[in-house]
Amino acid sequence: MREDTSTQKRRLPYFNKTDLLQLFLRGRVFLALIIVSAVFALLSPGFLSVTNIIIISKHVAINALLGIGMTFVILSGGIDLSVGSIVGLSAMIAGGLINEGIQMNTLGIILFPHTWMVIIITLIVGIIMGAINGLVITRFKVAPFIATLGMLYVARGLAGLRNNGYTFSNLVGKPEFGNTGFDRLGAGSFLGVNYSIWIMVVFALVAYFVSKRLPFGRHVYAIGGNRRTAELSGVRVNRTETIVYMISGFCSAMVGLIIASQLVAAHPATGEAFELTAIAAVVLGGTSLMGGRGSIGGTIIGAFVIGVLVDGLVVLGFSTFLQNVIKGIVIVGAIVIDQVQLRIQERIILQKQELNL
Amino acid sequence: MKKFLLIVFVTVLITTVSSLGIFAQEGAKTIAVIVPPVENPFFGTMQEIAAAKAEELGYKTIKLVHDDDANKQMELFETVIAQGVAAIILDNAGADATVAAVQKAKDAGIGCFLVDREITKEGVAVSQIISNNYQGATILAEYFAELMNEEGKYVELTGKDTDTNAHIRSQGYHDVLDQIPGMEMVAQQTANWSQTEGYSVMETILQQHPDIKGVICGNDTMALGAQAALLTAGRDDVICVGFDGSDDAIESILKGELKATSLQPVAEMATQAAIQADLWIRTGSTGKPEKQSIDMVLITPENADQYEKFAPKPQKKD
Amino acid sequence: MEDKATVSEFSNRDIDIIMRTENVTKVFPGIIALDGVNYNIYRGKINVLVGENGAGKSTLMKILAGNEQCTKGRIILEGEEIHINSPQDAMNYGISIIYQELDLCPNMSIAENIFLGREIVKRGIIENKIQQEHAYKLIHHLEQEMDPNTLVSELRIGAQQIVTIAKALSQDARILVMDEPTSALSTTEVEVLFRVIYELKERGITIIYISHKLDEVLHIGDNITVLRDGHIVAEEVVKNVNIEWVIEKMIGRKLERLFASKRHKIGKVLLQVEDLSLPRVGGGYIVNHVSFNLQEGEILGIYGLKGAGRSEMLECLMGANMLATGKIWLGDKEISNGTILDRIQAGLALVPEDRQRDGLVLTLSVADNMILASLEKYLNRFGLFLVSKKEKNAVHSFIKELSIKVSDPKSIVISLSGGNQQKVVLAKGLLTSPKVLMLDEPTRGIDVGAKHEVFEIMQNLAAQGYGILFVSSELKEILAMSDRILVMSKGKITGEFTKEMATEARLINASVNDK
Repeated sequence: MREDTSTQKRRLPYFNKTDLLQLFLRGRVFLALIIVSAVFALLSPGFLSVTNIIIISKHVAINALLGIGMTFVILSGGIDLSVGSIVGLSAMIAGGLINEGIQMNTLGIILFPHTWMVIIITLIVGIIMGAINGLVITRFKVAPFIATLGMLYVARGLAGLRNNGYTFSNLVGKPEFGNTGFDRLGAGSFLGVNYSIWIMVVFALVAYFVSKRLPFGRHVYAIGGNRRTAELSGVRVNRTETIVYMISGFCSAMVGLIIASQLVAAHPATGEAFELTAIAAVVLGGTSLMGGRGSIGGTIIGAFVIGVLVDGLVVLGFSTFLQNVIKGIVIVGAIVIDQVQLRIQERIILQKQELNL
Repeated sequence: MKKFLLIVFVTVLITTVSSLGIFAQEGAKTIAVIVPPVENPFFGTMQEIAAAKAEELGYKTIKLVHDDDANKQMELFETVIAQGVAAIILDNAGADATVAAVQKAKDAGIGCFLVDREITKEGVAVSQIISNNYQGATILAEYFAELMNEEGKYVELTGKDTDTNAHIRSQGYHDVLDQIPGMEMVAQQTANWSQTEGYSVMETILQQHPDIKGVICGNDTMALGAQAALLTAGRDDVICVGFDGSDDAIESILKGELKATSLQPVAEMATQAAIQADLWIRTGSTGKPEKQSIDMVLITPENADQYEKFAPKPQKKD
Repeated sequence: MEDKATVSEFSNRDIDIIMRTENVTKVFPGIIALDGVNYNIYRGKINVLVGENGAGKSTLMKILAGNEQCTKGRIILEGEEIHINSPQDAMNYGISIIYQELDLCPNMSIAENIFLGREIVKRGIIENKIQQEHAYKLIHHLEQEMDPNTLVSELRIGAQQIVTIAKALSQDARILVMDEPTSALSTTEVEVLFRVIYELKERGITIIYISHKLDEVLHIGDNITVLRDGHIVAEEVVKNVNIEWVIEKMIGRKLERLFASKRHKIGKVLLQVEDLSLPRVGGGYIVNHVSFNLQEGEILGIYGLKGAGRSEMLECLMGANMLATGKIWLGDKEISNGTILDRIQAGLALVPEDRQRDGLVLTLSVADNMILASLEKYLNRFGLFLVSKKEKNAVHSFIKELSIKVSDPKSIVISLSGGNQQKVVLAKGLLTSPKVLMLDEPTRGIDVGAKHEVFEIMQNLAAQGYGILFVSSELKEILAMSDRILVMSKGKITGEFTKEMATEARLINASVNDK
C-alpha cells in the first residue's frame, strides 16, 4: 500500500485498445449528434445554415428544458410522467390569468396581474405540482411511476377544467390592464436568438452547476446510486427528492409558458406525450434509468439528437410513420450501446485488478 | 459493435432517402401540405389529393402531419418556412392555437390555404376553404328523423370537446331534431372522434338505454365503432348515422349497416386549395374571398355506390 | 499458505475423488474471492468446508452450482473437465445446491416447488396427480410425512429444508451441496436433518457440507477442508483433527501479530446511552432496553451472534430507525431526537457492516464517496457551492493518512479492493470530524493485510481521543482489540467484561444466554 508509484507505472502500458474503445463509447451521444447532423447536411444543403440551426435549437429548447428537470428526477432514481400534463396545465393557468385575470368574487372585482406576475404565478403552480408529486412519493411511499402517473391525469384534467376544454386564444393582453407583452416570450429574440433558446442555455448552465458543484447535486447522485448509503451519510433524502420533483415541475411550467406564448394561445391538450420525448432525451444522453449515473450535458446533447433527427426527417419529407420507426431505433440503439459500454467498463476494472494481483 | 450499428444506421438512412427520390429537384417551388394524423383516411385522402394536384401544377410537395398538436404544428411551420416553401396547405390543429403559426407564415411572405377547419382570425390566411358543416349536419339530421319516423329515443355521440367542428355539427343536429316533438335524446356522450371509444361508449349506453331507436354521431369513425357495438349486441334494428362520408362508412352503408352519412367535399376542397395556391403564387391573388364554404352531400343507401375517396366516382364526373 | 502436505495421505489410502477444482480463481470488482483453489470432493463422503466469513466458501459453491463462472481454472468431474455455465448445466451433471436462504416459492405447494421448471406435462397440461405422487414418495423416502399439497409458506423452516432436499433428489443429484443448513433450525430439527444426511450418504450421494458451527461439522463430517482468504489452507480426515486445529487453520498462525497494540489513555464519558429500544413488528424487541457508556480513547467491543441486534443498535444510535426509543447523550448534548444529519453533526459516525449496500454509492467515484457525508465543509465563503480545491485537499490527505491504494481518486469506487473500499467508508466517516466512531464488522471480507491496517487505524484513532464502538463476530479480534467488551443476545446486553476479565468462553457463554 505504500507503493502507489508502482501501480501507476504498471497502468501505463495498459492504455490499450479497450481504453480507446471506452473513450469512443463515452462520447457516443456526441458522436451520434455529429453523424446525424452530417448526414442531413449532406442530403439537404442549407440544413446547417444559421437560421435553420436556430430553428432546430428553438424546437429542441422545449424538450431540453423538460429533459433538464427529468434528468434530476432520473438521477435520483425516480421518474416523472407528469411533465407533459403540467406543461398543459401551466399553459392554461397563464392563458387564464391573461385573458380572465383573477376573479375575486367576494370583492366583486377582477384583478389582472402584470405579465411578469403571470409568469411567476405560473412557475409557482408548476413548482407546487412538482411538490405534490414529491410529497406523495416521499411521505406516502408511493412509487414515483405511480405517483406521477396519477399526476399525469390530474394535471391534464385540471387543464381541461380550467376552461371547460376550450382554448384561451389571443394571449396578447390589453394595454389598459397592463398585461401586454406575453407573446414576446415566445416571439422575441436577443442577438438574433430566440428567448426560448436563451432560457434553455441559462437553465442548462445553472443545472450543470447545481449538479456538479452544489451539495444538493451530489445528494441527488448519491440517492440514485444508493439510497441507504445516502441516508446513513446524513443526506436528507426525502427533502432532496421532493426538491427534485419541484425542479421538474418548474421546468414543465417554463415550457408551458413558452408554448402558450409562441402559439399566443393556451390549449388544454398542450404537451401531450411530452414526458416520453423528455425521458428519451435523458436516456439518450447516457443517464441510467436506475439512477445515479448521467449528466445534464448528456441530456442536452440527447435532446439535440432527437431534435435534429425530427426536423431533418421533416425536411427530407419522410412520412411520420417512418420518422417514428427511425426515432425508436435510435433510442433503443443508444441504450444497447450504453449497456455494451457498461460491460466493457466492468471488464476493464477486472483486468486492472488482475494485473494488480 | 458501435461501428456496425453506425454502418447499419447510415445505410438504412441513405437507401430510404434515395429510394424516396427526395433529392435534387432543384428549380421547382415547393408547397407543404400539413394535416392531422393520416391514420384517419379523411386526412390521408385530403393530403394525397392536394399534393397530387399541386404536383400536377408543377410544384414539389412536402407532406407533413401535425398530430393535432398545436406546438408540433408550430414547429413544422417554422421548419418549412426556413426551407423556403412557397405556400402551405393546412388542415389545422386548433382554431385558436393555429393563428400564430399562420401569422408567422404570412410575415415570411408565405400564403396559407386552410381546408376543412377554419381559424378564429380573419385576414391572416389567404383562403379558408371549409365544408359547410352546419348545412351537412342539418341535412343529415333531417334524414335521420325521417328514418326514425320522427319519434323515439336516440343517442348522440359527439366529437372532441375541444374541437369547433364537434360543436357546429352538434348544433346542426339539434337545430333540426329539437324542433320535432317525438324525438327524445336520452344520452349525449363524447367519444373523442375515436372508433374504440365509440364502441365502448355505445356498449355502456346500451346497458342503460336498451330501448333506443337511433344513434347520431359526430363523425364516421365513432359511428363505425358504435355500429360494431350494436351488431355485437344483436341490435341491427338501431339506426346509426355518421358524418364525413369516408370510404369505410360508404362500404358499411352499402352493406346495410350504417344508414347514412354526410359527405365532406374533401376532394373538392383539397383541389381548390392547390389551384388557389398556384394562382396566388403566380399572380398574388386568388380572385376569391378568404372564406369559402362548400356544401356537403347526403349519402344514403340509394346513392352510396356513386361515391368514393370523398368525391363522386370518376365515371359520374362531367 | 501452500499447505498441501496432508493431501498425500489421501491418495495413499486410495480414496476416490468424484470431483475437483483445479486452480480456480474468481475475481469480483473490488474483491479476489478465490485465488488458485484446488478443492477435492470425495465420493460418497460428507465433505465439510469451513472458513471465516468472506473466505470464499459461498463463491466456490456458486461456481460449482453454475451461478457464477470462475475467472480462471478448471472443474474436473469423474476425471473429465466440465464447463458449468448455468444452474441447468450443474443439474445435468448431478450437482445440486441447497442455499442458506431456501430458494422455494412460498406461494406454491410442496409438489409444485419440487417440480418447478421441470413440470410433468402431458400434451402441455400439468399432470398434478402424478407430481403429487412423486413428491409424496420423495418425502416419504426421507422418512418424513407431509401432504404434497401444503403451501410451502405453511411449513416450518426444518420442513422446508426437507422439501429442498427432496427437490434436489428429484433431479437425481449425485453431489449435494448444503450451505449452512442448520443456521435456522431447532435442535430437534437438526437431529432430523442429520438422520436424513446419513440416509443420503448410505445411498451413495456425495455431500458437501458448509457450516460455521465447528462442533456440528466435526460431528457429521468425514473430510474437512479449510478455506481462508480465498485459499485452501488445509485438508484432513475429520477423525484426525480437533476444534483447536480447525480454528488455527481458519484464522491463520499470524494471529497474535495481527493486532497492533498501542497504549491509549481513557478519558471522560463521551457517549451515554440509556434504555435504547427498538420494538419488533409483531411483538418483542430487536434492541431491548440497552444502556451503556463509552469514554474518550476507549475501544468498546460489542460481541454477539448473528441477529443479536448489534447492527440494529448502531442504526438506532445513528437515528436511522424512527421507531427507536431511549435517550442518547453525546458529551453534554442530548441527541435522542435528532435526525441522522443532526447526529452526524453532533459527532457520530457509522461505518456500516455491509459496505457495498450501506456504506458506498457504487456509481460514484472514490473522492465523491469520501466527501459525501461532509459536503458542507467544502463550500465557498458564502456557503453556496462546492470548491474543488477544498474537496481535493481533504480527499488527498485522507488517502494518505489511511494509505488507500488508488491511482486516481476520480476512479469509480468499485474498482478498489475490498480492504480499500472499507477504508473509503472509514474515511467518509472520519471526514465528518466525529467524536464517536461506530465500526460494524469492519474487517468482514477483507484480506489479512487490510485487517491489520484497519486495526492499526483503530488504535491510532483511540490514541487521538476518539471513542470507538467496535462490533465484531470474531472472538479473537474482539478480545485483542477492545478495552471493554459488551455481549449482546436477543437485543439485550447479557454481559460486560473488562479486557482482563474477558475470555472466549465467557463471551460465548454470554452470547448464547437466553434469559
